[in-house]
Amino acid sequence: MPGVSSDSARGALVPLSPESPGAVVYPLRHGLKSPISRLSISWSRGNSLRVSVFAAPSSNGSVNDGDGGKVVEVKLGGGDGEISEAHWRRIAYGSVSPFALLQSRKNAVSSLSKMSMNSSPYDGDWWDYIMEYCKDINALLVNQKSASVPVLDDTKSVITKGEEPTSLKAAWELLEMFYAEKPSHSWLPERLVDWLADYDSLFSGTHPTVHSKLVDFQKEFVNLQVVEDDPKYWEVMSSALAVGWLNIVVKMLRLHGSYQLDQLSNRETENGLVEAVAVLISKMPRMRLEQEAGKLGECYKAKPDFVKAWEKWRGQINKLDSSAFWFQCAHQQTREGLRSMLQIMLGNANSLCSATYNWIELYISHFLYMRPLTVGLESMYSLAQKSIQLKPMASAHRLMGLIIGILGENTEVVLAECLKGFGPWMVAHAIELLTAGSDHAEMLLHEDRQNLGGISIEELHRLVYAQVLSSFPLTWQIAPIYLISCMKHGMILLQILLSKQPVQDNQLLLKSIEICRLYELHSVTSNIMKIAGVHHWKHGRKGSGVFWLQQARDEYRLNRIALQLFDSVGKTISDESFKQWEGLIQLLGSDSKTAGGLEFLHKYRDFKKSLRQIHDGKATDPARQAVESLISLMKNPSTPQRFWLPLLYDSLKLLNWKERPLLNVSQTNLLLNKLQELSMARLRPDFIESELPPQALNSVRLALGTNLGRAILEE
Amino acid sequence: MAFAESQNPLRVYRIPQSRYIDAVRWLSPVSPSDRFAAIAYFDADTNSPSIEIAYVDPNPQSSSPTLTPQSSWTSPSRISSLRTAHSTPQPLLAAATFSGSLHILASDLINGGVMESEATVSQLGFHSGPVSAVDLREGGTECVSVGEDGRVNLVSFVGDSSKLNYRRIFDSNGLVGYTAVKWASPSEFATGGYGFGIQWWDQRTPGGPVLQFKGNWCQGKTSGIVHSIDIHPSRKHTCLAGGSSGTVFAWDRRAAQQPIVLSGAGTGEAPNSLLSESEVWEVQYDRYTRRSNIGNISSTRILPVMICSEDGILAVIEQGEEPLELLAEPCAINSFDIDRQNPSNVICSLEWESLAILTRS
Repeated sequence: MPGVSSDSARGALVPLSPESPGAVVYPLRHGLKSPISRLSISWSRGNSLRVSVFAAPSSNGSVNDGDGGKVVEVKLGGGDGEISEAHWRRIAYGSVSPFALLQSRKNAVSSLSKMSMNSSPYDGDWWDYIMEYCKDINALLVNQKSASVPVLDDTKSVITKGEEPTSLKAAWELLEMFYAEKPSHSWLPERLVDWLADYDSLFSGTHPTVHSKLVDFQKEFVNLQVVEDDPKYWEVMSSALAVGWLNIVVKMLRLHGSYQLDQLSNRETENGLVEAVAVLISKMPRMRLEQEAGKLGECYKAKPDFVKAWEKWRGQINKLDSSAFWFQCAHQQTREGLRSMLQIMLGNANSLCSATYNWIELYISHFLYMRPLTVGLESMYSLAQKSIQLKPMASAHRLMGLIIGILGENTEVVLAECLKGFGPWMVAHAIELLTAGSDHAEMLLHEDRQNLGGISIEELHRLVYAQVLSSFPLTWQIAPIYLISCMKHGMILLQILLSKQPVQDNQLLLKSIEICRLYELHSVTSNIMKIAGVHHWKHGRKGSGVFWLQQARDEYRLNRIALQLFDSVGKTISDESFKQWEGLIQLLGSDSKTAGGLEFLHKYRDFKKSLRQIHDGKATDPARQAVESLISLMKNPSTPQRFWLPLLYDSLKLLNWKERPLLNVSQTNLLLNKLQELSMARLRPDFIESELPPQALNSVRLALGTNLGRAILEE
Repeated sequence: MAFAESQNPLRVYRIPQSRYIDAVRWLSPVSPSDRFAAIAYFDADTNSPSIEIAYVDPNPQSSSPTLTPQSSWTSPSRISSLRTAHSTPQPLLAAATFSGSLHILASDLINGGVMESEATVSQLGFHSGPVSAVDLREGGTECVSVGEDGRVNLVSFVGDSSKLNYRRIFDSNGLVGYTAVKWASPSEFATGGYGFGIQWWDQRTPGGPVLQFKGNWCQGKTSGIVHSIDIHPSRKHTCLAGGSSGTVFAWDRRAAQQPIVLSGAGTGEAPNSLLSESEVWEVQYDRYTRRSNIGNISSTRILPVMICSEDGILAVIEQGEEPLELLAEPCAINSFDIDRQNPSNVICSLEWESLAILTRS
């Protein structure tokens, strides 16, 4: 945590000094000519700011081209130079599955250990799971753009280039070797040697390195006639030897002029010495599990074997160092160069110090030639401190800070370095490794903290990472995976995230709903559906609006929009527009619960349909059906009052049916009562008059009266 | 559930694209060995949508296929629907956008796949809001577009007029929204929409759909939206549709209102045999079959169907058989296309900015 300064009382958490290097100026290109009157700044997606610039209205009242305002986006920070945004997203996508798998295995392991109290939760397959997680993530970090293949003649190229290394991958491999590969702790120094061989070039940007010296030399090398006359040749070889790049050194040694056939005869002793050193280098004993095929050096797994071989090897070097052949070697550079290489192999502190360029290289050379049996983080840490004293540096590379934190066994420093150097993704995923084997770290990271609002450090960092994912339109969908692994605040933040998603596009809307379904957030689902329904409705997509509100079972809103729909029904449900309505009415279905007040439409459609079938005035059966529909419509409380008169007016031909009265006495009475109710309602100020001819009420009343008379007679 | 790997060899290659893929289609090749695909991208970093023609090299020296971009066309808005007509050597593409425009593109595959915009409809009033689906008539000069605004438009392009004319076939004024469309014959097409409804249209009978397949057939259960329709040229009486809740069903126009449910809602099967419970984004008849002849399959039986879904499933469904799962991705499969000439090849777009190419053998 950044220190809370004394002025925290005034509300500042992190002190901002004027000379703080974080202050960056972003020019705005808004292209407005008139002076700016107002600025509005808000967050856009990701780490972009949306700046709305409002121009001052021109004083003379005329409208110019540059008037009004502009909205511009400002991207903060240049991002990580070595990893593009697209690559970051690819890493984010790829890490979802390993993370989710590890979480589910963790849950399984912990529930298992709860059942059997005596067994430790983390044993057996546990380390396999961690290792699998580690390897899966590591595979994602491979840089896609491969470095250019050197065009040099192969015999003369001393360093071969593979994929371009990234600091992120280097950092992950550090965490992997220190936290995930538990059983191999005694081989840690050798793992670090390999690690530096892969990633030394990363330091070249800020510090001189063996790798950069090799690259420089390789450029000159092509033009060199007599390579052994060049002091740089010897210098570079000593440096490469110091950090243990044996293959490169031996390859370079064999380019020595004395190997050439025409010179072999008169430089026999010299060549013998060069070859002797080359052989000694290639026989160097290494204490490690295995050696990659083709790599020089001899492996020893057990300590006693190694110590024996190590003593023997040093004896051979000493013997060569004190041999008489050196006096017979005429070439001064060769003599001096080779003997200084022998000093490096003998572990001469001064030689090692002068052959390396930064503390990590010096540190590695100490492991190789002075203290190959270093075991334990404590002694590794003190050795690192000593190396830093010998080769102090003005500025530390982000990887160096990480190494110090790891060696110092300080989990908080490791986390801080991960966050500072590699961002929230790294922290959220590295915590899994930090807590893997250390009870102390687990307690530290899982303990709920008052100053973090009652959550643990682990949860805090997962939430931060989820927040980053949520702010990009392409990655928000994977944020839920991380949110649900947060016990305290995850679920509520997930609900907020889902509620904030745009609803305009069906595809995106359905993707949100799918996530709700997975996590059983039914109330969020229905809220989203309601928002979508109202949105569609407002934009004139009535069918879509009704569908979503039906899905949300939102009767309140359905009833409200039903009122609006009836307005247009009164005007437009004519025979021609019937087909337009047909689809909507079908969508409503017959299930009145989901249809809300719209149930009326369904019955109205049936009524209209049967009315249309009796246009000739003869068919009695459809007419009877129409009467039934009419009665049920008039009985139904969901039929709006303003439709009563139009309905009755539409049914005039039913009421005046020639053959015989279609309505019986009680039915006619019902309609007459409704008509009476309607006449009373007309007196109220809020009554909506239907667009019918003025005599409509009277003609309906007359028809009903006539029908009543006929019905009484019939009965 | 049957897995493909155990039964027939299947090679799957995932190719990261660093851009979101809105749609992907095969283009009919000029020669049997060529493979071209049209891909609608959306670059989230620069906010720019485009369509690219890419040459798909199925077997380069490195073991996985490569995509070589041939040409690109910048779209004014994101692509909501992309269809291709199989005419060589200049396949036509119809692309509909979220801003309500329609673009006809022609690509010359012989001369390096150069893509040109042939014509555009973007008048106000063509569609209000996004065009939700478009379909090009096979080898023809017409396409039909539908939207949630309830408009059904017929766009014909003859000759080299750069401004297209469209004819409004129907306008429901938003009372009914359409989300899918597919030609059945030169005069007939089918549309799909909310509540699992399907409409059958015939240009010879104007004024509205000639037949409606009632939505809400899965009464009481969750209803949904039809996302995709396919009609087999030899089985024009049957509309195949896929939509919400893992639903894949067929509607036989001769059998009135009863759907043939292939998967999902209303099957009444045990939940563990359910292929997918989420959105089925696309359905297509799978022309790749080990059976000798589709003519042997009785005409009441539904032909094999390929589907892709929001929960990452790409599968082949045959009526009355266990579905064959080809892919189970950790992210959504948003669209796919089966190569017409060589149906063993399938290309699909994944949510996490990548393409997958499958080869069945």
